[in-house]
Amino acid sequence: MAEDRKCTPAIADHPAGEALWRSPEDLAGEEQARRFLEGEFPEPAAPEAVDRRGLLGRMAASLALAGLGGCAVNRQPWGAPLLSHPRLPPLHTPGVPLRFATSLELDGLGRGMLVESTDGRPVKIEGNPLHPASLGGTDAFAQAEVLSLYDPDRSDAPSASGARMSWADAWRVVNDLGQQARSSGGAGLYVLLEPRASPTVDRLVARARLLLPEARWFTHAPLATGTAHAASRTVFGRPLDQVLDLTAADVIVTLGGDLLCSGAAAIRYAADFAQRRRAPDRPLPRLYAAESTPSLTGARADLRLMAPPRTVEAAARQILAFLRGPTATTGQLAFAQAAAADLRRAGARGVVAAGREQPRDVQAIANAINGELGAAGVTMRYIEPVIALEDPPMGSLASLAEAIAAGRVRALLILGGNPAYDAPGDLDFSNLLSRVPMSMHIGTYQDETAILCRWHLPARHALESWGDLRAFDGTAGLRQPATVPLIQATAIEELLARVIGEPGDAHALVQATWREDWGDRFEALWLKSLEDGVIAGSAYPPVAVAAPSGWRPGSAEAGGAPSGQTVVFAPDPSVWDGRFANNGWLQELPKPLTKQVWGNAALMAPATAAAFGLRTGDMALFTHGGLSVEAPVWLLPGHAPDVTTMTLGFGRRAAGRIGSRRGFDAYQLRSSEQPWAIEGVTIIATGRRQELVSTQHHHSMEGRDIVRVAAAAAPPPPHEPETRLPSMYPEYVYDGNAWGMAIDLDLCLGCNACVIACQAENNVPIVGPDEVARGREMHWLRIDRYFAGPLAAPETYFQPVLCMHCEKAPCEVVCPVNATVHSSEGLNEMTYSRCVGTRTCSNNCPYKVRRFNWFNYGQRPFSAPDEVYNPEVTVRWRGVIEKCTYCVHRIGAARIAAGMENRPIRDGELMTACQQACPTRAIVFGNINDPGSAVADRKASPRNYALLGELNTRPRTTYLARLSQKPPLRRAGGGDDDTG
Amino acid sequence: MTTPAETSASEVASIPLSPEFGWGWLLALAASAFMVLVLAYSIGALVFIGVGVWGTNVPFVWGFDLTNYVWWIGIANGSTLFAAILVLRRHSLRTAINRFAEGLALFAVICAGIFPIFHLGRPWLFYWMFPYPATFEVWPQFRSPLTWDFWAIITHLIVTTMLWYVGLIPDLATLRDRARPLAAKRVFAAFALGWRGSLRHWALHQRAYRLVAVAVIPIALVIQSTVAFEFSVTLVPDWHETRLPLHYVVSGLESGLALILLAAAILRGSLRLERYISVEDLDLIGKLLLANSLVVGYVHMGEIGSALLAGSYTQTATINRLVGDYAGLYWGAIALTVLLPQALWSPSVRASNPGCILIGLGVTAGVWLDRLSIVVGGLQRDYLPSMWRMYAPTQPEWYLYLGTIGLFAALFLLFVRYLPVISMSETRHDEHREARS
Repeated sequence: MAEDRKCTPAIADHPAGEALWRSPEDLAGEEQARRFLEGEFPEPAAPEAVDRRGLLGRMAASLALAGLGGCAVNRQPWGAPLLSHPRLPPLHTPGVPLRFATSLELDGLGRGMLVESTDGRPVKIEGNPLHPASLGGTDAFAQAEVLSLYDPDRSDAPSASGARMSWADAWRVVNDLGQQARSSGGAGLYVLLEPRASPTVDRLVARARLLLPEARWFTHAPLATGTAHAASRTVFGRPLDQVLDLTAADVIVTLGGDLLCSGAAAIRYAADFAQRRRAPDRPLPRLYAAESTPSLTGARADLRLMAPPRTVEAAARQILAFLRGPTATTGQLAFAQAAAADLRRAGARGVVAAGREQPRDVQAIANAINGELGAAGVTMRYIEPVIALEDPPMGSLASLAEAIAAGRVRALLILGGNPAYDAPGDLDFSNLLSRVPMSMHIGTYQDETAILCRWHLPARHALESWGDLRAFDGTAGLRQPATVPLIQATAIEELLARVIGEPGDAHALVQATWREDWGDRFEALWLKSLEDGVIAGSAYPPVAVAAPSGWRPGSAEAGGAPSGQTVVFAPDPSVWDGRFANNGWLQELPKPLTKQVWGNAALMAPATAAAFGLRTGDMALFTHGGLSVEAPVWLLPGHAPDVTTMTLGFGRRAAGRIGSRRGFDAYQLRSSEQPWAIEGVTIIATGRRQELVSTQHHHSMEGRDIVRVAAAAAPPPPHEPETRLPSMYPEYVYDGNAWGMAIDLDLCLGCNACVIACQAENNVPIVGPDEVARGREMHWLRIDRYFAGPLAAPETYFQPVLCMHCEKAPCEVVCPVNATVHSSEGLNEMTYSRCVGTRTCSNNCPYKVRRFNWFNYGQRPFSAPDEVYNPEVTVRWRGVIEKCTYCVHRIGAARIAAGMENRPIRDGELMTACQQACPTRAIVFGNINDPGSAVADRKASPRNYALLGELNTRPRTTYLARLSQKPPLRRAGGGDDDTG
Repeated sequence: MTTPAETSASEVASIPLSPEFGWGWLLALAASAFMVLVLAYSIGALVFIGVGVWGTNVPFVWGFDLTNYVWWIGIANGSTLFAAILVLRRHSLRTAINRFAEGLALFAVICAGIFPIFHLGRPWLFYWMFPYPATFEVWPQFRSPLTWDFWAIITHLIVTTMLWYVGLIPDLATLRDRARPLAAKRVFAAFALGWRGSLRHWALHQRAYRLVAVAVIPIALVIQSTVAFEFSVTLVPDWHETRLPLHYVVSGLESGLALILLAAAILRGSLRLERYISVEDLDLIGKLLLANSLVVGYVHMGEIGSALLAGSYTQTATINRLVGDYAGLYWGAIALTVLLPQALWSPSVRASNPGCILIGLGVTAGVWLDRLSIVVGGLQRDYLPSMWRMYAPTQPEWYLYLGTIGLFAALFLLFVRYLPVISMSETRHDEHREARS
């Protein structure tokens, strides 16, 4: 055959040109040529007959082999092949979400949440009704956590001096470090922790301190300063936490802070406040707020004192003095008189709460007032500190900085936190950190600290990890993963366990903690606690403390009015201490009072700013004690005079593609001595300007009937029936359900939880600062904020505005292609696929709740990763209008569930996302055809009114007027003349 | 032997038939062709990137798009209406003006039509406005003023084309007879519809022409009102006004007249048509424009008066348009559409080419400001102050606007080059009459 291949002899033998031939067959004779061709092209010459079975069989085998390629074990970061289930795991139906109870952290304390996971993918977070810090409500941070889980900027591999390393290398370094530490008793090892109420971390730290007695331990969190414990130590001789019970309170006085809307207990306090406010047969509670920086609690207060920190302190002293005896001295604050009179009347049903930023003295005075009132056991209780105080106490960041400067630190472990960014400016911590010979950081991001450390290990996100956290009242809750780890990472618990030479995974470590506690009952309690999210009966019992009647506050350290300007620092309502900076939902969340997005500003009273010739957007240089920061100014009506508020958490240098280089870094001006307020700050206008982005530009209601306010004391007006003006079009008839919503403006605090809940539920896109500046934010639910009254001391009103689902919807008649139509249950429905984008519906919507997709916002630099999208809700594309649907997919799910059981949808069974998130239950949704429903009940209230009802739109969403009460001693002009 | 009439008709005909047209024309065409390229670019940006390239937002969902649309439609309506009236009145002016007035109207409709289509979020689906029997059995929303307007534009395009084309038929036949290149001859022949100039043809032609002209008058008024309905039917306080259709009709007519004055003055100068577009003609249009401007002034006074008498929302919104952030637009419009034409009281201004050009340009620009003042300024103060914002156009919006002006200019330049810009048949007719008398 070999010579056949070369050439057939017959062909070769033929002398060229001797005869004409048409084909090799002709030339060489058929048989020879066929053999030649067979040799040359084996298959085409003699095609093997492939039957259908054979072909299908081979195809199936190839596909199966190709599929096997995807099962390679080592490709999966979670270490196990991801195969489909031949049989479904119990309880799991594809497309039906599972809920995992877990705890999310804020201020080191847990807030119980339910994570909704669809086919293994967490897409929504709701409050855990069983958890004392949530009661089913959430805040914006908890809602946004699901976006952080999928953040593409999360750190996904260990790194050493900026280079990616393998986990094997990383663990070798950790093990060596641990071994070295254990052999030397921990000498030279410094560990920096975030204060956190985690029993497992506490257990591991205690064990480590036992094994490594020479190691030094420090804690740091930018917002935890320990003044409350110092204060209770002053008054009671021991550090104590306080837990309020606002459901019992008739008079609430807050000294700074933002009791109802900020911090680890805020969701609960807001819920309690709302419950007390709606308590039948009891007069409205009185809320007094003295503060230097406007807060949402202050905005809700019946009487507010906006004043520099010293005046707030003076007010606290005067209240205590009033309660202890009639010391009628001159120069008393009207605020203090009114508050004290009301507190005295309320007795044990009064309570005073001091904010975290208040100095020790004010906190101590608050304790003393509560003691004077006998509030303990009624409106508040003292408990042991929930974030355990170690013995010996751990050092502060300042002492760690000292140790580094002295060169004593050989190895530094930074377990969470971001001190290179959020350390006070005077410590110069970034510089010090880079001097440490061996430093290791664990965190979810390659942040400022990670970059400066020798080693960085990625940490799991809260929704991927095991753990445990105590709530503000001591109740412990378990944290469980709601998904497989999306990236290969570790946890603080695991790292600590390795350092002490007892490695284990976080799951086992947490179990070990509770096994110690529960003993034999472990199996039963573990599952129950996982399911509930809380460990039953784990709340700390109240501590009986002696009434501090003998305690005297002493005189103010430096009396008189402060010289010059004061700067106070506050956590940011959008990014908190900076940890949420790379979360696009939160960056684009309008701050409650300023409605600013994508940055922060130095907030000032208009009069104060005018004294420096500053307008909103002007840059000013703030200098104090060698530290300075240049910040844009924002004129905020009602701000305390001669005080500037700077919110922390912006000006991140290495937050990620969303959060870096937004706003200014107020930490640069903060000092470790006075972390919350600095006096005598120099302010110089630099002449530069910065464009500040905001979603609301007009702050007055222009005398229009937009937010209605009723006097609480006045007899309620008769119920106003729905306005029915003549209409060209026939009425719709609703035989079954007719959905409607009622929003109680008296309960709305403006906290923004509903805004993010709506965004997360309905796949509302992030558009970015430039687009917001053009007026193109996409929020389906916005909270309008209005000021009324004098510029120095205005009333602040909030009004959540979403699609009103008008009965006579103006948008429906003007759409030329019938893309927005009325449903049989009264919803105003938007058909995205029919919309051609004339936008005329938005023109005709008097509420301006319709949003237009100017671009493909799903594919722009700021857009959320695809994984976070709720699979139940269509993602809208370019060129179509969108708006609130009343969570129509939830209605559909409820209808199916009810239909399977052949019953109508029960009242309360169906909640919209905004309603579910609202801590105060200000939003109620339901069937207005059912006279017994909660929403029908609310709509029957004399306070019920339709926004712009005179246009005959007949909105399905109505509002309940806010109630106002003015304390008797209120003077004209409000609190501003108190400050003089 | 040629009659004087033959000579003059030849002169007019010689323009489209001559192989050369001068460098001025070429330069102008090149400039406008460049603008058409800009138009193509800005439309491409809209289609491929999105309507977000504009400065529009919520609540200003419409900006330059509707402003320019209303402006062009106004010009088209004004010119058509004017031409139709001349036809019906058999006014001597019609010889000079009609043909290019009709042409201007047609080109303006074409420019106007660009905006409603490309302002859509998804312009490729614009045909959903049309009530075709779709498989999913969804029909347009017949209650929507945008649906009405869709029909208005279609009607406008058909009627304007008819008026222009019917008047052009005898001249097309002349061109057919005189064209030298065979290809041009064939094109003219096809469009001349076999015109032989028989008496019967003339009689039918006159009847058809006047019939279309009669149809134009109500249609132009209705169409301009329908455009106004897009605004006045909404709930927007400043727009929800019964006076708005009248406002649009009157100022639309004014912009049409101004453009005719402008074009007449330009043609007179550049094509040496002084004999056909006489000073008397300019004088007459000038007087009409002056009268129209007085009516526009009256309408504006009514606007202010009714705003003062209106409910609080309307009052706030309208007064804000007069004194608020966009007040410049309003007062600019007043200055250019009401005050500037007062110069036409002077006969010497009416007789001067530069004067007419200046006033024509000024009034056209003034009506554009008026449209912008309504579309943008009218939206600034609606119901909820929380959504009170500002709007500023972006470069792509300017490009699109300038692009349509380029398209308009290009079409006009091609028209004067390839078709008789003055009606030859009418000129002949007039001159015969003059010769007889």
